[in-house]
Amino acid sequence: MTGVLSGRAQPGPLQADLLAGLRGILQAIRPDADLRLIRRAYDVAAAWHDGQTRFSGDPYITHPLAVAAILAGLGASDQALCAALLHDTTALTAYTFAELNREFGTEITGLVAGIAALDQITHQGSSTTAQAIAAATAADPRVLAIKIADRLHNMRTVEFLPPDKQLQKAAQARDVFVPAARLLRLGTVESELAALASTTLSRNRYARTASGHLLTAMAALLPPATQARWREEWLGELHTLPARRSRARFAAHTLLGVPRLAVTLRRPAPGHRQARP
Amino acid sequence: MKYAIKMTGPVQQVLRALLADPAAPRYGLEVSKLTGLETGTLYPVMARLEAVGWVDSSWEDPELGVREGRPRRRYYQLTRDGAEQARAALAEISRIRDKRRATLSAAQPGVLGAPL
Repeated sequence: MTGVLSGRAQPGPLQADLLAGLRGILQAIRPDADLRLIRRAYDVAAAWHDGQTRFSGDPYITHPLAVAAILAGLGASDQALCAALLHDTTALTAYTFAELNREFGTEITGLVAGIAALDQITHQGSSTTAQAIAAATAADPRVLAIKIADRLHNMRTVEFLPPDKQLQKAAQARDVFVPAARLLRLGTVESELAALASTTLSRNRYARTASGHLLTAMAALLPPATQARWREEWLGELHTLPARRSRARFAAHTLLGVPRLAVTLRRPAPGHRQARP
Repeated sequence: MKYAIKMTGPVQQVLRALLADPAAPRYGLEVSKLTGLETGTLYPVMARLEAVGWVDSSWEDPELGVREGRPRRRYYQLTRDGAEQARAALAEISRIRDKRRATLSAAQPGVLGAPL
């Protein structure tokens, strides 16, 4: 085997790219990183998440990998990187804390448990800044940093979620994780997260209106791979229309074109054929 | 004549509107306004034009929208190849129409002459 973060279980192309990216960041920022340990955490997480996918259709393991890459860029420790790679295993797979503890020790297990505890708090819908700061100070700052990186990657890929989930994630990002990132002085993460939250909130401003619901329902009739694009495009057009009636009219007219649009999108792309004169 | 896309009336209207300023990216409602086509007609046309490579679409930089307090827009633009083929196709169609008109008025000068 060449290099520790390469080779072995033949990860898919996306994972391979992400792994190479993580290795590159570590070489640049933390040349002393324990690549063997990090690779082992990846292998265990990848094995447990095997067969699971994200909303985007990507293999689930791409998410913890991306979170680890974000943290590596912030100079996170080996333990934090391993915890990032393993952070969803105990919640989403049959992997137990006891096994985690046996294979990776108490420090990494403690971090993963801390993330799970923080998830409990955020799932209860505590979305005020005060609560966030309280949770932040109570938690290990590394746990909070992993959770912030987790939300950052979720927000980068938020377009694949249904609109109501997008709104919920974005509001919480704005109210909880942006202030938390500021608290930890993660300036670049803070600004990216704030920008993503703001675009997502404005994009979905009309998602809960009657026209928004209608357009969202119609987009669901299109081929799955194309739904997110058309839904976003249509919900975005609602912002251009000043009056509720013009938005309703837009939704109704767009509805009439959906069957034809679905047929066009289902047809295999003919490629760029030349017009024959 | 065989084109990559069936040159229906709405397709021609969209192409004419885009060719008026081929370098300008347009969002869906903008093209709808320019052509007078309802969105139910327009979006399928745009999707077909995109499928054959005459038109490209992409999201604008979200930063622009943030400043104006709206989400990013999907913009459509003629590809270079698309602009060329669209121009050729539209020219050919009007040539045929002119010829047909001339033939008709020549054949029946008294009946269908001028007003066609």
